[in-house]
Amino acid sequence: MTSELDTPHATLELAEVLDLKAAAPLASSLLAHRGRDVALDASRVRRLGGQCLQVLLSAKNTWNADEMSFEFINPSEDFADALLGFGFSLDKLMDQELSR
Amino acid sequence: MAMDAMAVIKQTFFQECEEQLAELEMGLLAIENGDHDQEIVNAVFRAVHSIKGGAGAFSLDDLVHFAHIFENTLDLMRSNRLQPTPEVVKTMLRAADVLADLVRAARDDGDFDDARTEALAQELAALGNGGVAVSAAQEKEEEVDLSQFRPRPIAFNFDEEPAAPAEPEKKTFSIRFKPKPDLYAKANEAALLLREIERLGVATITCDTSELPLLSELDPEGAYLAWTVELKTDADEATIREVFEFVEWDCDLEIKGDAASEAEELDVLALIRKVREAVEPEAASVSPEESVPAKAREPEDRGPVKSADILKIDQSKIDQSKADHAASGPQQTTSRVDRDRLDRLSELVGELVINQAMLAPRVTEAGLARGSDVTVGLDELEQLTRGIQDSVMAIRAQPVKSVFQRMPRLVREVAAMTGKSVRLFTEGENTEVDKTVIERLADPLTHMIRNAIDHGLEKPEKRLAAGKPEEGLVRLSAAHRSGRIVIEVADDGAGIDRTRVRASAVNKGLISADAQLSDDEIDNLIFLPGFSTAEKVSDISGRGVGMDVVKRSIQALGGRISITSKPGQGSVFTLSLPLTLAVLDGMVVTVAGQTLVVPLTAIVETLQPKGADVHGFGGGARVIAIRNMFTPLIDVGRELGYRNEAADPLTGVALLVESEGSMRSALLVDAIQGQRQVVIKSLEANYRHVHGIAAATILGDGRVALILDVDAVVANSRADMTAYLEPNLALAG
Repeated sequence: MTSELDTPHATLELAEVLDLKAAAPLASSLLAHRGRDVALDASRVRRLGGQCLQVLLSAKNTWNADEMSFEFINPSEDFADALLGFGFSLDKLMDQELSR
Repeated sequence: MAMDAMAVIKQTFFQECEEQLAELEMGLLAIENGDHDQEIVNAVFRAVHSIKGGAGAFSLDDLVHFAHIFENTLDLMRSNRLQPTPEVVKTMLRAADVLADLVRAARDDGDFDDARTEALAQELAALGNGGVAVSAAQEKEEEVDLSQFRPRPIAFNFDEEPAAPAEPEKKTFSIRFKPKPDLYAKANEAALLLREIERLGVATITCDTSELPLLSELDPEGAYLAWTVELKTDADEATIREVFEFVEWDCDLEIKGDAASEAEELDVLALIRKVREAVEPEAASVSPEESVPAKAREPEDRGPVKSADILKIDQSKIDQSKADHAASGPQQTTSRVDRDRLDRLSELVGELVINQAMLAPRVTEAGLARGSDVTVGLDELEQLTRGIQDSVMAIRAQPVKSVFQRMPRLVREVAAMTGKSVRLFTEGENTEVDKTVIERLADPLTHMIRNAIDHGLEKPEKRLAAGKPEEGLVRLSAAHRSGRIVIEVADDGAGIDRTRVRASAVNKGLISADAQLSDDEIDNLIFLPGFSTAEKVSDISGRGVGMDVVKRSIQALGGRISITSKPGQGSVFTLSLPLTLAVLDGMVVTVAGQTLVVPLTAIVETLQPKGADVHGFGGGARVIAIRNMFTPLIDVGRELGYRNEAADPLTGVALLVESEGSMRSALLVDAIQGQRQVVIKSLEANYRHVHGIAAATILGDGRVALILDVDAVVANSRADMTAYLEPNLALAG
């Protein structure tokens, strides 16, 4: 995961495998960027598990509540597929605030 | 995602492989022991065949290659073109070990011994050289094989059946699925389950994020999401539930069907059975005369099943399966239960026992007559409680087979390393004991068997010279004896070399050179920490684990280990273990105003000491004469530091206890309160280890009582006595 901690806008690269082991580190690295616009580069993602999905959705809500921008860029096919499997589409995730 | 789905199926495959490997080994051992039943040969063949089939589906080429050669040789045996001579079977057993290694290497992405595999492949091929080359028919059979292994997750995909379009109209199910944190923690994945459901038909998945907190409050390892799947499918509810089979305790699951599907639910049991048959690998592709599996998976009156028939609904079979269910047929009798739940249940039953025990004195206090309704009711409650307790124990019980099964391979390997020829006999594999006990038995048993071969059995030349058969025997047996499980490891070797053991113990300062020891006591020296007779540490037994460690791990299980050895005839190590770690029959005693529990298994008899029988012999130590034998009299109150002055033996009670190595001592306590079953509560888990105390329990009146560690108390008192009698030795040690 790469980041530019000093700039107001951060681009984070999501790991290839977002399984249960990745959930806690993902949450803490996202929290470290709270208060800034964040773009998540999902180009490398091959696998997305339920717990990382929770983290991403919760982060999305949090950023929305903070009125900061939170977006996914360059989503890999696997990432988009995984979201579909969970009942989300990438567009949906981008467009609307998730129900709380 | 695709990788994950594959991983799950692979996992199922490897689990099945383990079963097949066990089957293979058991079959080969039976053949080695002269059982030439065609059915066993068939079972062995099928085991290798199935592993090969599954491995092919996963492109595990090394495994397929070796299994293929193995299978060819077995096929020769199956068709009586290769005789199962001892040499042939030995090679096959080693081949089974290699196959097991290959399976595990494939599973763990580990390495395997290339050279060994190749060497055995050649040996196998050489065995088959006398036979006929692989025929076209066999090659054809292989094609069938690759589809033969059908792990459950995909096997239920009825959509793929060609007959699907002609099936009755699809039903709609509404499935609500909410994982619990445990589901993820156990490495299951919601994504995969949803994927599996999607495969069953046309699915609309919606995710409920209403419980999702903001990131700062989120536990990344929690579970907040729930999913609802509207599924249009040909499959029935049972099939859908099967998807969640492994996670059913770790999620909330609600499946609602529409009216069309309700009617069929009545036959769910029959359908589950049907589905099971459909995926049963053995039944799927073998020819009729060999399709009865070695282990009885089906009621015996059921005929062989041909693959073509399997998916057709046969009304007579459904009726029969209903009848079977009523008679609780073998297939329906198991269910997977989470271990935590079982532990919780045992704990609760423990509490129930305590509570019930608390009730009894209350009733007496209330002055109710012995025959009153309340006391009668209480007696019934006690019986029921016992019944529940026994049932819970039975749920947790498992045959020791799972540990015994690991031993044949160990024996072969140790035999090969030591250049000895060994035969292992096992008896009583089906003896049941608490699963926790089984798990903790594997290491001590492994070590004892290694020892038996390495130290117990003589080299072949020596055996021949002693007029014994060249092949040594190691017997591993288990049996229930008076509420405990007794496991014996026996060998027909040279027995313990007492002169050497004694000398070694003197050398290491464990005993003094002029100590008077009985044969029994010398034998027991091998359990002392720091004792090892091997001059050089061997690869096999000397792994830094001595018999003292074995003894400690057995003691930690509440068990005892003893040894009997006859020079020239061999040694027997006997383990006596409790059937469960949860309850204990104890004698409740009073010592210096404290209530203690002494495990009943340790007590031989109780007696009232007479003045003439008790003799002091300095250092505060006393002995008591019991039937003309002097036995150390241990003042428990002093030993545990409850009081400083010696108790008056004439007002107390002596408990004659037998501790390790059949040593007898008398424990002096103030009074006996009674006998009772107590629920063991770990002291280590709740407080810390206390010397002389094994655990704690809660008594009927709600007070905590400590459970005495008899062996530790006796050993400690003996050490004190030795320190008094042999001050120089004490300084040296």
